[in-house]
Amino acid sequence: MAAATSSPRTEQLSRLQRWGKTVRIIFESRVATVGLMMVLFWFLLGFISLVWTPYRPNFSDFEQNLRPNSTNWLGTDHLGRDILSRLMAGTQVILLKTRLPGDFPILGGKAIPGGVALWGVFGSLTLGSVLGLNAGYRSGWWDQIIMQLLDALIAFPQIVLYLVVIAALGQGDLVVILAITVTGAPGVARLVRSLTLDIKTRDYIRAAETRGESVWFIMFREILPNIRGPLLVDSMLRVGYAIFAIGTLGFLGIGLPPPDPDWGNMVNDARRNIFFNQWAVIPPSLAIATLVIGLNLFADGLREEINRYQK
Amino acid sequence: MKSEESVGPPVLKVENLAVAYKVRGGEVEAVQDVSFEIHRGQSLGIVGESGCGKSTVAWSIVNFLGANGYVKRGSIKFQGQELVGKTGEALRRLRGDQIAMVYQDPMQALNPSMRLGDQLREVLTVHRGLSKKEAERRCIEMLERVYMPDAAAVMKRYPHQISGGQQQRVVIAMALLNNPALVIMDEPTTALDVTVEAAVLDLVAELRRDFDTAIMFISHNLGVVARVCNHVGVMYAGEMVERARVGDLYANPQHPYTQGLMRCVPKLGSDKVSSILYPIRGRVPPPDNRPAGCIYGPRCDYAQDRCQHEHPALRPISGVGNWARCHFAEEIDAAAWTPPEEIPIPTIDQPQSDNQPIMQINELSKYYEVRGDSLRDVFGLSQPRYVKAVERVSFTVPKGKTLGIVGESGCGKSTLIKTIIGLEDSSSGEAQFMGFDITGAIQQRDTQLIRELQMVFQNPDSTMNPSYTVGQQIGRPMERFNTVPKNQIRSEVIKLLEAMRLGSNYYDRLPRQLSGGEKQRVGIARALASQPDLVLCDEPVSALDVSVQAAILNLLLEVQQQFGTTLIFIAHDLSVVRFFSDYVAVMYLGQMMEIGPAEAIYAPPYHPYTEALLSAVPIPDPKARQKRIRLEGAVPSAMNPPTGCRFNTRCPRRHLLPDPDICLTEPPWRDVGPDHQIFCHHTVETLSSFDPVIAETV
Amino acid sequence: MFVKDYMTRHPIMVAPEMRATEAQKIMSENKIRHLPVVGEGKRLVGLVTRQRLALKPDAMASLNVWEITRFLANMSVRQVMLAAKQVHTIGPDNTVERAARLMAEQKVSCLPVLDGDGVVVGILSEVDLLRAIQDMLGMTAEGVRVTMQMPDEKGQFARLATTLAEHGWGIMGIGSYPAPRRAGYYQIVVKIPQVTVEQVREVLSQIPGQEMVDIRTVV
Repeated sequence: MAAATSSPRTEQLSRLQRWGKTVRIIFESRVATVGLMMVLFWFLLGFISLVWTPYRPNFSDFEQNLRPNSTNWLGTDHLGRDILSRLMAGTQVILLKTRLPGDFPILGGKAIPGGVALWGVFGSLTLGSVLGLNAGYRSGWWDQIIMQLLDALIAFPQIVLYLVVIAALGQGDLVVILAITVTGAPGVARLVRSLTLDIKTRDYIRAAETRGESVWFIMFREILPNIRGPLLVDSMLRVGYAIFAIGTLGFLGIGLPPPDPDWGNMVNDARRNIFFNQWAVIPPSLAIATLVIGLNLFADGLREEINRYQK
Repeated sequence: MKSEESVGPPVLKVENLAVAYKVRGGEVEAVQDVSFEIHRGQSLGIVGESGCGKSTVAWSIVNFLGANGYVKRGSIKFQGQELVGKTGEALRRLRGDQIAMVYQDPMQALNPSMRLGDQLREVLTVHRGLSKKEAERRCIEMLERVYMPDAAAVMKRYPHQISGGQQQRVVIAMALLNNPALVIMDEPTTALDVTVEAAVLDLVAELRRDFDTAIMFISHNLGVVARVCNHVGVMYAGEMVERARVGDLYANPQHPYTQGLMRCVPKLGSDKVSSILYPIRGRVPPPDNRPAGCIYGPRCDYAQDRCQHEHPALRPISGVGNWARCHFAEEIDAAAWTPPEEIPIPTIDQPQSDNQPIMQINELSKYYEVRGDSLRDVFGLSQPRYVKAVERVSFTVPKGKTLGIVGESGCGKSTLIKTIIGLEDSSSGEAQFMGFDITGAIQQRDTQLIRELQMVFQNPDSTMNPSYTVGQQIGRPMERFNTVPKNQIRSEVIKLLEAMRLGSNYYDRLPRQLSGGEKQRVGIARALASQPDLVLCDEPVSALDVSVQAAILNLLLEVQQQFGTTLIFIAHDLSVVRFFSDYVAVMYLGQMMEIGPAEAIYAPPYHPYTEALLSAVPIPDPKARQKRIRLEGAVPSAMNPPTGCRFNTRCPRRHLLPDPDICLTEPPWRDVGPDHQIFCHHTVETLSSFDPVIAETV
Repeated sequence: MFVKDYMTRHPIMVAPEMRATEAQKIMSENKIRHLPVVGEGKRLVGLVTRQRLALKPDAMASLNVWEITRFLANMSVRQVMLAAKQVHTIGPDNTVERAARLMAEQKVSCLPVLDGDGVVVGILSEVDLLRAIQDMLGMTAEGVRVTMQMPDEKGQFARLATTLAEHGWGIMGIGSYPAPRRAGYYQIVVKIPQVTVEQVREVLSQIPGQEMVDIRTVV
């Protein structure tokens, strides 16, 4: 076997090279590239809005219900606010920052990085993974109980679920995150469970068991790292759903609290004035659509490439 | 009546075939320059290790290369007509009527939701337009032809209702219904047990003779090919390196690779003290990085300058009937071969006389409760039913020795070691390991006890966690059992890696960067990391290619010498078990049938089941005379095993007893030699009177 | 001696849509003289022979050189083959002599072998019949071949057989036919292994009423 050590195939790759390889996979797929570009566009716009917007997004500096023109590129809304500025600022709360309520310990009243959609998906991933791993690995009664509970949750209409959560806890960014977490977790848990059922038949799990490792070690150290690929792809899609959910909540008027703009609220406001101003409804709707489509394309392309790469 | 050497045009003629697959960033030539022909009534075996392109050749004939594969050069002539470049209807009909394929997994060819009869009849009613009744008659006829018991009833069953061997028979019958000129068999018996395999191989040989069908038989197993083929092509890294008649190839291999392969496989009856396996050094070059000259050059013991830049052609070797792809075939004398220095050869000391038992198992049983789904079962009212996976097994393992356990699938050997290691708890009986009780599951065991019992697994691809480096995985047991201080783990792991003949540069590699053999080495290192006294090996080499298998077996022998580890070794390959073990236990349907020193098991007196197993082993020597004992029927269900001797329903020797009904009672354990016991009603004298299964080769 | 044992199984077959030129190529490359033409499910639709592929002068007398080339290039197997209903065929379970008679009477050099529903399972040609004769007369191994002539009466052959049996000799091949140019007599050819010409001559020439026509050692 001494001769084998010099084989070029097994040469050590540095961390950087490995990353390079991953990035190359993304660009191998045209679908994933386009998706990534669309997502990055909104991130970029969001970052810019943190330091600069064309006008102040929350001030009625202009005439109401203007059509798109040379000063206000996308027109103004029913309160005379610049839609472009609001659109840019609306990115923040979805992708870039979460505002904590005033009575929150230590960080009360401040904003933490990471948008509501991202935190919501993170929440559902965490909750879903814990539930899914337990159901899949322990099986038996654990599996029965966890999956029955989750099925019951899925059977509940999502909008009603949102309403219940918000009615119970009031409005706020954290509540929206919680709502997304609760509605997203069952899906994640099902996915994790099915992947776990596959992984747990592998010999390396048997090896860990014969070492007498604890159940938690096996679930989180042996199984979880091996399902992160599909989980990552799934979470991309989930960010899309979350944005949609925020839009829906905003549309219902129970979303992120005003006055800071978010896309859902913008659509909702514009809808009420649709007879006076047909233009205002288009930009936020398009924004939601492109971001969601972008994430979906990215996830799809990635999944396809990863699968192909594995073969 | 016809001579073996059939004249006339070949059924299949492949010339200079090259098949390429398009992959990310270019293409890979999986097969290069392969030529052969098959005549009517001939069978050509194609042997080679995994990745040598043998299946690709088959797929190129039936155009199953997938979206990214295509025939790059060469021609495939079937019945005189060129297949390459033809498309559409003509090609489909030419193949559909005249070429059939049999795969490794019969369930790939059978529709699980249709009755077998409907699937068989369809071949005739759809393509031939036969009436249903006539088709039915012919199907039953064909099923009887492939020795399917109760053919008419089988027609009404679904695929899952018959055993794997019977499924393969149905697939073969289906392939022959259309009377094809060529049948391609791709590892048709690899998934089957050895006794079933033997019966299927008999059938293949017989059908070839009766139907004059040309057969292309793909296999990795030299023994299987020796049994059914009359011509053999050996493939290596996408090329055919040797082609010859079966007798010539085995008696007088010309290519150094073929010679190397022959040295890798243990002969049935050879053991580790008297014989040595010589693995082939190096590894198969990846298809995108093949050497410029002779492809085998870098691994060849006879390589010279010329081999490095001049690619040899497949040419007839003067004086013998073989064709070989070697510049120096005439000059190479295989008999004068001496192992090169870099191949590690384990030295086996004579066994020490100290036979202190390290493990004692007494009447150990493992039952699984089966829950039905009736309402009574749900409420726990019905009588619980059990699968008796392991029933009253007793044995002892002496320290530092190897116990081999053989048996076909479902015999309970895997359950037995799972129970021993604690993945399952036992149902009854006693089991002691170094004075500790090991009847309970692993959760009830002391950490120190867990440390002493470790395991090596079968499948190299799943034995390692793909997310962690080699070093992390070997280091984990040391960390967990505190066998090594934290700051020394790295150096200890490297020490172990070196003992496994992997360099320290393997420490940071991920499993996907390793070959199958290397993964298995890491698996062994991980098992040894906690310094256990007993290692259970669950088919550690059965998923590996023969050349790698030899290296791993040697490694295990070395490890045993070095660390004094006791091994329990499970395998279905009787030659390997015989080679590797000091003691052998034969299991059937959860019960132990025979146990004794390895050399005693392989010679009379033996249990009738052992005898049947031995007579089924494919031997890589077409001249070997083997007694032909084939078991009837299928293995009975473990849920409802036969009373008395569990082998009584299939025992070929039962009729020799004065009162065959005695087999319905529990047989006695008969002492037939030192440490050698047989679980049978036959007297020692009767058992001793059986002829040896394998006569001396002439 | 049945057709199924002497026919060539899995003969090369072609589809009716194939170009005649290609069929011709297949025949010459594989050195065969007959090509069964089959449709769906290997059912016989015709037969191509070398003669059928030979040019028929009357068919193209009126064509010029270029037209002949095109005419030939575009001709399909269907156009040149002998259609199935004109082809004489035989079943696999028929006897070889029945096939021989059919071939001799119809003056054909081959018979496609069809099973019950018209599927081609093999082909029986003159060469295969010749092989049958060889097998019948024990052409496969060495021995003494002797031709005896005897009157066409009951008990004559038994006399010969008894004589052979008395000496413990076996028969590896046998043939019987009316003696040529001698009415009322039969000739019997037997091939006896593991004996010498002299032994056989001495014994068989003693049989009353029978005449030894020929004796030789053959392979």
